[in-house]
Formats: sequence, structure tokens, C-alpha cells
Amino acid sequence: MSDPSRRTFLVTAAVGLARIAVAEDSTLPEAIRKLRPMTGGIQPISGGERQARIEKARRLMRENRMDAVLMEGGSSAFYFTGSRSNEVTLISRAGPGSWSGKADLAPKILKDQGVSTGKLGVEERVRFDLVDQIGKELPALDFVSADPVTAGCRMIKSRAELALMQRANDITIACYRAALAGLREGMTQVELSSNIAAAYKALGVNGDAMAIFGKYTAFPHGSIQPQKLREGDLVLIDDGCTVEGYQSDVTRTVVFGKPTARQREIWDLERKAQDAALAAAKPGRTCESVDAAARKVITGYGFGPGYKVPGLPHRTGHGIGLDGHEWPYLVRGNKRALEPGMCFSDEPTIAIYGEFGVRLEDCMYITEDGARTFTKQSPAIDQPFG
Amino acid sequence: MPQDNVTTDATYRSRIEKLREAMKEFGLAAVIIEPGPAMVYLTGVRWGRSERTFALVVPEQGDLGFVLPGFEEMRARELIRPGADIRVWQEDESPYQRIAQILKDRGIAAGRIGIDPSVRFFIFDGVRKLAPQLDYVSAQKVLKSAGVDAAR
Repeated sequence: MSDPSRRTFLVTAAVGLARIAVAEDSTLPEAIRKLRPMTGGIQPISGGERQARIEKARRLMRENRMDAVLMEGGSSAFYFTGSRSNEVTLISRAGPGSWSGKADLAPKILKDQGVSTGKLGVEERVRFDLVDQIGKELPALDFVSADPVTAGCRMIKSRAELALMQRANDITIACYRAALAGLREGMTQVELSSNIAAAYKALGVNGDAMAIFGKYTAFPHGSIQPQKLREGDLVLIDDGCTVEGYQSDVTRTVVFGKPTARQREIWDLERKAQDAALAAAKPGRTCESVDAAARKVITGYGFGPGYKVPGLPHRTGHGIGLDGHEWPYLVRGNKRALEPGMCFSDEPTIAIYGEFGVRLEDCMYITEDGARTFTKQSPAIDQPFG
Repeated sequence: MPQDNVTTDATYRSRIEKLREAMKEFGLAAVIIEPGPAMVYLTGVRWGRSERTFALVVPEQGDLGFVLPGFEEMRARELIRPGADIRVWQEDESPYQRIAQILKDRGIAAGRIGIDPSVRFFIFDGVRKLAPQLDYVSAQKVLKSAGVDAAR
């Protein structure tokens, strides 16, 4: 076991040094060098809250007839234990607490807890190797997806979690303001990405972003082709940072120079699609209905239908929390009802291959009254920040 | 700046051939691989893992299969060498169905399928539900025997 207070100190010291390096790096735009940390007063998740999560997991295990849940190092294990170690974690229905240790010991622990038969829930990212090894030692064990338990807990955010996500989103907006202030003719997409990473360091966190220019903005995840910024290019930046493990994810699309009528029209259509999804995201409505609301605006314009381009080639949004993309997803076929505390991205990209793409992405959290965004939506193509 | 070592198409073909020989020896009808060092070694394709399934199916006989998200097809084609059988899945469709279909199309109705040890549970779980008659085993020894492990 590492000492968490020492670890926090070391991380803080490292981030502090990185920040000084940014402030003194004359190759960076001035707006980035001027940034200062926004990490004051952050409240980490308490031990009590983590214990309550384990209790909820046990209740969901009973409801879903699982005898134990198996996790490897990653977001789910961190969620329940607060540890980022690479050890294997088990939560058994019989309790108490959770067990973390070496993978080789997992079969013995399961046996000791009476779980050598029955159902073992496996966290989605557990490697096949581990399942295979446990299966060889406990051949009567039935391996099932642990998603109803792990995602069942993680998809509903507490106030403490929402506060951490709010901070991550606030930091991302400060980062993007500085990064977009430093756009210059001839810069590459790689340079803009590294400016954003440097800005996050100055703000006291780790984060990054993909940057896409010109016609490559039509590809939702960009292109490996080298790009140099030219007057009139669309500029798309997308991704986020991490605060106590919680992620932000924001996309802004702007024009370097004066927008054309066509760019303005498609940008406005994108904003309408984003608004439609936001308005549809009410508790009790299904995840797929939010996707349908955004898609309707885009097909109403004559794009699509479905995933066809020009149009919206992917789902409207994803859940977000400790992972940048997590359950549940705003996608056709997902009949799950929205509940207060769920968090999603709202990002109905409009892609026009050979021309350009526009994506506006703000994350939203569901309340009793409807959805609220963590960040102010971009009001207009020449106003990335509200 | 020094040039990266360029791996030729012939090198990738011979690596796949070596893997297939090992598969024959170990009795594997196909191997399923997720993005990572093994995929880079065998095909040169570098791809980030996400919740969206992107998989390589190496059948003992027949074309390589790639299963990937529909909206990533253009970006993926920048990386995948010609000749592969690319099957896309749309956001509300099942990538596991695409993997199972490739196995079926290669005439694999029974037998053992090797799973790259680093494949995540949800992909294995999705495929085995659609093709429960197949036997899923670790591909660790096969990959190692074919020299793939050395690349890690």
C-alpha cells in the first residue's frame, strides 16, 4: 500500500514544476503562459462515499444474482476502492468490504468466500487472460458481465462527483479560451494539441485534446494527415482533463478568420441539434429518444438519414464520469430511462466529407427538472464561449 | 530527423504466415486480437482502444478480417493495408455479430478460437454469446510461438 498523502504531495509537486515550466516557455502563446492553477478547494471523494458505493454494489448483486464481482486496475476498481493499483479487486455479495491483491490469489479468495460455483460478474475491461486462469482453477464458475453492478453504480453521480466534474469542465473552458487565443496561420494540428496540454499543466491538471483543421474536421476523430492552419479553416478541438479521476469532455468548432455563409449555416444547424438533445434529456425519457431528437433536426435539413453523411455519423452522446466514455449511451436501441444524476455528452457532429465538419459538445447532468450543462454552450460560430 | 524503419507489406505477410503455421500446430481456427502491440506487429495498424470494438480476426485460412466502427472507416482505411476484409458496424449494431459472421464466412463452425490474452471481457463475452458452439482459449502460446510476443 502506498501512502496516499505522500502520493498526493508528489503529484502536486510534479504538477507545480510543470506549471513553472509552462510559464517560462517563451514558445507558448502568452494567454497560456498567464494561466494559473484552478485546483484550489477540490474535495476528493470521501471514504464513507466509497463504502456506500460498495453497499449499493452488493444490493445490485443480489438483484442481478451475482455472487461476486471481479475487477482489474482501472476506473471501476478506483471507484470502489480509491486505489489506482494494478491489483485485482473482488467484491463478494456476502461481504464485508472488498479484497484487493495479486491475480494469482483471486481463485483462492473466491473459494474462501464460497464462490467456487455460481456467478462471477466480470468488469467489462478485465483481460481474457485473467478470466481464463480463474476458469481453469474454478471450472464450475459461471462468468457473466458485471455491467449491471459496476455501471449500475457508476452511472448515477452524487453531488460530490458532480462538483468534481464541474471543476474539470470549468478548467477545460479556461484552457480552450487560452488555446484559441493563440491560433496562428501555419500552425499544425500537433502544435495546437501540445499548446492545450501545456495549458492544462499551467492550470494544475492533466488533460489533452485532439485538434483538427479544415476538411479533416469532417472525420470525428481527425486524421493523421499533416494539417497547417489557413485563413478560413474550421478549427475543431475536443477532449478534456481529469480532476480526482473525473473527466471533462468539451468540443468547440470555430473558424480561423471570417466564416463563410455555408460554415455559418451548418454551425447554426449543429447548435439547433445540440439544443434539441438537451431539451429532450428529461428524466423518464429513454436514451434513444435524446439521440432521435438531435437526429431529427439534422435529417429535417436534408442530411442523413441515420448515420449517412452528410449528417450525424455516430450516436449523439455518451455517459461520462471516471471514464471519458462510459455507460449509458445516447444511441438508437438504448431503451434505458434517464435518471437524475446521470451525466452525458451532447455532441451531434455534422460531418460533410470533402468539405468540413462541425461539432459542439457540452456535457450535461440530469436533474428532476431536466438536463443542465456543466459548461455554457457556444452562442455563435464567432463566439466559442458563452 | 532519422527515418522510421519502414516495415514492408512482405514483412507483414510473412508475420501473418508464421502465425498461421503456429495456429495450425496448436489447432486454432482463428485468433481474435484487439488494438495493441500484437496488432501493430501483425498488421502495422495502431489504434486506440475504446468502448467501441475494433478487432482483427486472423483466420487460419482466408482473408484477414477487421471489424470497426462505421464512422471510423475513412480514418481506419488510412492505416489498414489493402486486401483485408473490412466489416463496419454502426452505432446501434453489434460488432460481435460482425466478428461471428467473419468466422462463419471462413467456414469455422466448430473448433477452437484463440483470444489474445489482453482482449477485454466484453468483446469475448459478446462473441461467445453469438457463437457458443466454439471453444475459446488463450492465444498466448500461439502468439509467443509465432514471435508476436517478442514485440511487446
